[in-house]
Amino acid sequence: MKKFAHLNARTLEEAVSFLGSYGGKAEIIAGGTDLLGKMKDEILPNYPEALINIKTITDLDYIEETGQGLRIGALTRLNDIAEHSGIREKYTALAQAAERTASPHIREMGTLSGNICQDIRCWYYRNPNNRFPCLRKGGGRCYAIEGDNRYHSIFGGTVEKGCYAVHPSDMAPALIALNASVKTSKRTIKSDEFFKTAVRKTTVLDRDEIVTEFEFPAPAKGSKSHFIKFAIRKSIDFPIVNCATSIINEAGKVKEARICLNGVYIKPYRAAKAEEDICGKTIDEETADAAAQTIVSEARPMKDNAYMVQIARTLVKRTILACKE
Amino acid sequence: MEKHAYTCPYCSETFDALENLKSHMLQAHKTDPIPRPEGVIRLTVNGEEHSIRVEPEWTLYYVVHDILGLTGVKLFCDRGACGACTVILNGRSVLSCMTLAIECDGMTVETAEGIANKNHPLVENYVKHHCMQCGYCTPGFVVTSKALLDKNPNPSAEEVQQALAGNLCRCGTYPQHTKAVLETAQQLAEQGKEAKK
Repeated sequence: MKKFAHLNARTLEEAVSFLGSYGGKAEIIAGGTDLLGKMKDEILPNYPEALINIKTITDLDYIEETGQGLRIGALTRLNDIAEHSGIREKYTALAQAAERTASPHIREMGTLSGNICQDIRCWYYRNPNNRFPCLRKGGGRCYAIEGDNRYHSIFGGTVEKGCYAVHPSDMAPALIALNASVKTSKRTIKSDEFFKTAVRKTTVLDRDEIVTEFEFPAPAKGSKSHFIKFAIRKSIDFPIVNCATSIINEAGKVKEARICLNGVYIKPYRAAKAEEDICGKTIDEETADAAAQTIVSEARPMKDNAYMVQIARTLVKRTILACKE
Repeated sequence: MEKHAYTCPYCSETFDALENLKSHMLQAHKTDPIPRPEGVIRLTVNGEEHSIRVEPEWTLYYVVHDILGLTGVKLFCDRGACGACTVILNGRSVLSCMTLAIECDGMTVETAEGIANKNHPLVENYVKHHCMQCGYCTPGFVVTSKALLDKNPNPSAEEVQQALAGNLCRCGTYPQHTKAVLETAQQLAEQGKEAKK
């Protein structure tokens, strides 16, 4: 790796002030599994001048269950979330997503905040030494439109720019399905509104903003959640498609549903039509299939990725069936 | 020597022995009384304490393998995808190629050498079950297995497979690892029982 300065932040305020003093030329490092890969490959035109280590901030690694719900610190390792008995029981989709993220080693290193702030994995974007100066790096075009786009968006690109790289997080759909909020050093953001695509950006966070905590509302009576991931290898791969569903059942019928897919669109994709479709119905093979079918009508696959539509449809159906009371 | 020779630079309290001043500063001001030069980290590797000056861009792999000469830590993908560089860092099995050494100050590292020096039965069982062909990935597997057994002394075959899922073996020795780890778990349990008697 090229040279950079390294700063240990002792408090959140210190980390924010470091970020401010470097004026957007510094990066925050927590687990580092995404950031160091990017730096080793030098995929970006600008190499960070400094890394600000937030692992030295002591009070950001915790899981707390209260009457109102669940609070998870930004630096909580994914493995700790996957193994937490309370989360496995009440926030099933979250534990399942954590358990299926990356490899065991990366789950021991990677944090929840790092997972949702991770960068895209598009192979043009990630090509070493900034070989493809694409839209997301401030360049002029998306190379996936004419190139190999088998792992790209099936629901279109960004309206104004046309980047087709999918969001690769496994935790993001679980967060959205469970209606979590993301607390930062400045504000509280609903997980639905947390993701945003722009040049060198996957979230709405400002350059001097740091994620500090995740808040989950307590699951309502009769609610169930489930997460399924489809990837080439079970052990380590990023998702081709993943899906998290959370359903509140009442008297044998669906009262409320939240369904979120990821790996299929430039940001986590709420399957709003499928949610509407399943509401008020009894979950069975037929109704789940009908709700999942709405995915197909919305999809606009590219030349190499039509197969993902079928996978998305199947995952929506299976997660709905798994949430049956 | 004067009786109150040691004065705390923060609160001017005086002490008659350096040791007392040190413990006072650690407790009351949470700082090291003798500041270390910038970039020097303290690392306990396989029970041995080291003080090493590191650059920010050095990975833990580079320090353990190239500086300390513990060549059991292997580099293959250098991108956190293969598990060959696994070490146990403060009880967690992590990838040393994706860990910055400068962030490991005060931590404990265990490598394959440390496990072998302790005569851990895992090593014997790896030989017995032929868990290697070329052997390049083996130390990574051994370290990951050791971390698993530390955490879960009685794993099922499935749990072993899951714990080793992040280690790649190009020779395809996967089925043997499960056997070796399960046999080790059994032996350790028996040893534990005998020790109790």
